[in-house]
Amino acid sequence: MGRTMTPALVAGLLFLAACGSGSGTSGAGGGSGEPKTGGTLTFAVGSDTGCADPQQVASNDSIYSVRQLVDSLTDQDPETGEIVPWLAESWDVSKDASTFTFHLREGVTFSDGTELTADVVKANFEAVPDLGALATLATGYLTGVKEITAEDPQTLTVAFEHPNAQFLQATSTHSLGIVSQASTELTPQERCTQGIVGSGPFTLAEYVPSQSATLKKRTGYAWGSSLWTKDGEAYLDEVVFKVLPEAGVRTGSLQSGQVDAIGNVARADEPALEASGATLQARANPGAVFNLGVNNSNPILQDEKVRQGLRNAIDRQQIADTVFNSGTEPATSILSRTTPGYHDLSAELGYAPEEAKALLEEAGWKPGADGVREKAGQKLALNLAWFANSPTNQPAVELIQQQLKDAGVAVELKQYEISQGPEVQQSGDFDLMWGNLTRADPDILRTLYSTSLANVYRVPASDLDSTLTAEAGAVDAAERKELVAQAQEAIVGNAYVIPVVELQTKLGVAARVHDLNFEASSRIQLHDTWVE
Amino acid sequence: MSGQLLETGTALGLPTTPDPAQSGSRGPDPARATRRTLAFFARRPGLVLSILIVLVVVVAAFAPGVFSSADPTRGVPEENFQAPSTAHWFGTDSLGRDLFARVVHGAQLSLRATLLAVSFAFVIGGILGLVAGFVGRWVDDVIMRFVDVVLSIPTLFLSLAVVTALGYGTTKVAIAVGVANIAGFARVMRAEVLRVRTALYVEAARGVGARWYTVLGRHVLPNSISPVLVLATLEFGTSILAVSSLSFLGYGAPPPAPEWGTLISDGRNYLANAWWLTALPGLAIAATVLATNRIARALESEVRQW
Amino acid sequence: MMRRYIAKRIAQAVGVLWAAYTLSFFILVLLPGDPVTAMAGQGMDSAPVDPARLEALRAEYGFDQPAPLQYLEYLGRALTGDLGDSVATGRPVTQLITEALPQTLLLTASALTLALLFGGALAMAATYSERRWVRQFLLSLPPLGVSVPTFWIGLMLVQFFSFRNAWFPAFGNDGVKGLVLPAVTLAVPTGAQIALVLAKSLSTTLDEPYIATAKAKGAGRVHVHLRHALRNAALPALTVAGLLVGALMANAVVIETVFSRNGLGRVTQAAVAAQDIPVVQGVVVYGALVFVVVNLLVDLVYPLLDPRIVLAPTRPQAVAA
Repeated sequence: MGRTMTPALVAGLLFLAACGSGSGTSGAGGGSGEPKTGGTLTFAVGSDTGCADPQQVASNDSIYSVRQLVDSLTDQDPETGEIVPWLAESWDVSKDASTFTFHLREGVTFSDGTELTADVVKANFEAVPDLGALATLATGYLTGVKEITAEDPQTLTVAFEHPNAQFLQATSTHSLGIVSQASTELTPQERCTQGIVGSGPFTLAEYVPSQSATLKKRTGYAWGSSLWTKDGEAYLDEVVFKVLPEAGVRTGSLQSGQVDAIGNVARADEPALEASGATLQARANPGAVFNLGVNNSNPILQDEKVRQGLRNAIDRQQIADTVFNSGTEPATSILSRTTPGYHDLSAELGYAPEEAKALLEEAGWKPGADGVREKAGQKLALNLAWFANSPTNQPAVELIQQQLKDAGVAVELKQYEISQGPEVQQSGDFDLMWGNLTRADPDILRTLYSTSLANVYRVPASDLDSTLTAEAGAVDAAERKELVAQAQEAIVGNAYVIPVVELQTKLGVAARVHDLNFEASSRIQLHDTWVE
Repeated sequence: MSGQLLETGTALGLPTTPDPAQSGSRGPDPARATRRTLAFFARRPGLVLSILIVLVVVVAAFAPGVFSSADPTRGVPEENFQAPSTAHWFGTDSLGRDLFARVVHGAQLSLRATLLAVSFAFVIGGILGLVAGFVGRWVDDVIMRFVDVVLSIPTLFLSLAVVTALGYGTTKVAIAVGVANIAGFARVMRAEVLRVRTALYVEAARGVGARWYTVLGRHVLPNSISPVLVLATLEFGTSILAVSSLSFLGYGAPPPAPEWGTLISDGRNYLANAWWLTALPGLAIAATVLATNRIARALESEVRQW
Repeated sequence: MMRRYIAKRIAQAVGVLWAAYTLSFFILVLLPGDPVTAMAGQGMDSAPVDPARLEALRAEYGFDQPAPLQYLEYLGRALTGDLGDSVATGRPVTQLITEALPQTLLLTASALTLALLFGGALAMAATYSERRWVRQFLLSLPPLGVSVPTFWIGLMLVQFFSFRNAWFPAFGNDGVKGLVLPAVTLAVPTGAQIALVLAKSLSTTLDEPYIATAKAKGAGRVHVHLRHALRNAALPALTVAGLLVGALMANAVVIETVFSRNGLGRVTQAAVAAQDIPVVQGVVVYGALVFVVVNLLVDLVYPLLDPRIVLAPTRPQAVAA
């Protein structure tokens, strides 16, 4: 059902995500003592998208668990952003960045016993466009693919119509994690509910949607990423992910030792968690910052001055300091500062309430009797779609609502379930939408704002398109950086989107847990993790 | 939800089938009546307190400014998570909003929803019961079978079905609660109509050739309505609980609307560091429900004595 | 006589189930709002703005047919135990619910047991005590119990017994310890109801002449209270307990979300949020089923306790107002 997917439907699920390069990763609790094999780690997350297929999930809480089931062709160094071998021992990229040849490692098997070959990877990539609405990330990475060829069992070539510089980094993400041949033949829905078979360090023992996911160690695992410190199998015997929607319950459960680690630590809970001996691990996420995505086709919001007015009316520092975990930085561009190609635009993203009012006045919106601006009898009223997948989202949008009210803009908050995200984006039934999208590559801008892709925000066609196309084909790093900077200037300058704060992933980890590491996308890597 | 709980109380004490022999009124005597009333209240301090609480809540619902001048949807973010103090009686929430102001303004939303829910159930259920009792025969059978069915579905489930069909929002939640409570009103109304219909004065009115609507409007309705009104008071308390349960589950008005159930649900995220965000709105609900129930019980025993 | 009574009660129970199914069908399918659009928007297989898909869905779920036909088709399937498939997860509704139901029933049963024990004890103590202030204090507790939002009691218990003192887990379905707080929470309003009813009927019974006779014959107070009064007063309390099961189940749904327990509550909440109509309908039907079965059992036990009942045409419609 609904499996046909035009490339145009490919765009970004905003939501929580996390990819990262840049800031350091550190294991929790330091490295006291010798690592021990065995034991169970219980990890509490706040939400579940109802899908156990890494190629179809975009929300951190789901990625944490399903990431452990699959290996990727490459891995990305969280420190340097460099792409390093994993399932592919090496690769060649054509001069125009349009053809990629991967040389696969031998002896890799999936947990159903079948072997990893170039044909299986080909089947994986070819199945992606049929995955449908949830797989927007994976679909986006493979847009414009011309031909996928299995040269021999160990050699795979992926050729694109156009230069596609981002593809190499894409192969390191969970979205292009490799599943078995049998799993590629399931329907997208079956892949979600049954889960997939991968070659990763853990296998899925049980998945109960909205409740829990239980992972077991894959015995005989011997093809870990070149970044991992331990060879062979993982330390942990079992990992249990529990869905605990209430932040207060997650925090209390970590404090009282009922769980070993929790995602999404709230600022208010930090002191209590630290006092209880838990370690707080933070890592800034690269990619698109938390922003108000603007529906640029809305008649009110088609006016550039209105969008700029909204942009200037937001007090980013206040939001970062009140709502988000400590250490969170206000946005200074649409990309976070840990993203390759980040370009500082803080001058345009300062808090300027008077300018904001002036811009709205210029656009013809005059203060009405109730404080809400009006033009020709119409109120300056907008709805803001948000998703309850993180405890920070509600206070964040409430504070934005309050700040915009000061500028004379009435905002109505519309809450959706995380599973409704794709529908809201595709239907365009929103004026503003709260979210972010993590990826350690500036091509995220093309995914989100190119009019030739999904164009969820209904951005009008402009020079921005050609800049983004050129960026995708730029093999030269300096040239690409320049193009990416231009794109950020266009996006922020025209206020096609309103950047607000950077996302910083913060985990609470019990003292008995060691080496719970962030991977390059600020999600977790559990192969090297051990418990006392 | 607890709809059926309290109704049990009703049925076991109450006016479902009052003894007609007890009906009848005494001659009026203003002075004596006043003295009796005062004595009545003097012996019931709990009732007086309950009436005061309900008055306070009603004023809060219709003129929240009387109690709190603070804006319930606007806070000072720098002053968030302050414990209760003289400046903020109920403390402040995650965005520095005054919780007392939010509870006071929340009364408006929650009480209106409750009022709507009870009125909805009262009107629809009342009409059903009236028709069943007055028309009788197969109409009575059909309506009362329907009522029995509705009674066998836990009220919360019925409300959830309605919410699923209608969507979220204060009014929709109110209707959902109202729909689930129709049956109780229908049953009591019917019982009363049946009792009154056979009473002497109704027979007499019919005997002198009064039209059916005259009999209904002038005799049956006025004489059968009071137990239904008592039920409405009792239902008020349970409906407050039902409405706040639904808004606690997230089916009420979108933020920043401070519905009582929503306040508790929001505070849940801060159980570990800000107890007042859950504890105090819950106390407000409990006090209101307790007070309305106390008043309902008093009304109920009065009606029984008539 | 007995057999006819039982047959009649079972027939009534079946009738109620049919009607519950019908009622929920009409609420969900015929109320404003297009169920297909609502469905198409959710779940993992959504491409919602595609009109062709909407049509396909309409046909698949039979919504392109007139309502009475749809209803008959659905009812026919329901009779074979097929309540349709969840729109969000694609799994059969009966499977989803029967997986979740045991946890909820366990919680409900534990809570009912606690409620009977504590509600009964409270009523006994209140009527047994000869000190006025003790009686008044004890009798003031049940009205309090029914006035406090159940979910709030749960949160307060979590705050105190899980977070401040890690005595009981705050969430989950693990073992007896995890059951304590939710069961106690749920037992509060139910126990309060039972205490109200039992106290009332106890004090009525204690005024009966035969109690005085028993006392005059030299029976001890404890003996009179337990042997004579409780036995008679227990009947209404039993009826009430049966009727309270419905409310208890419903409260359990809310309480499960407070304690992040797996069970019918999770299933229900997810279904309402996703407008997963078949699942919501299934929950309503199962709610009615549990209620009906429990009350059927109560009705069948009743004649054993009080043989006069069978002679009456039906059980007095006491409580259900």
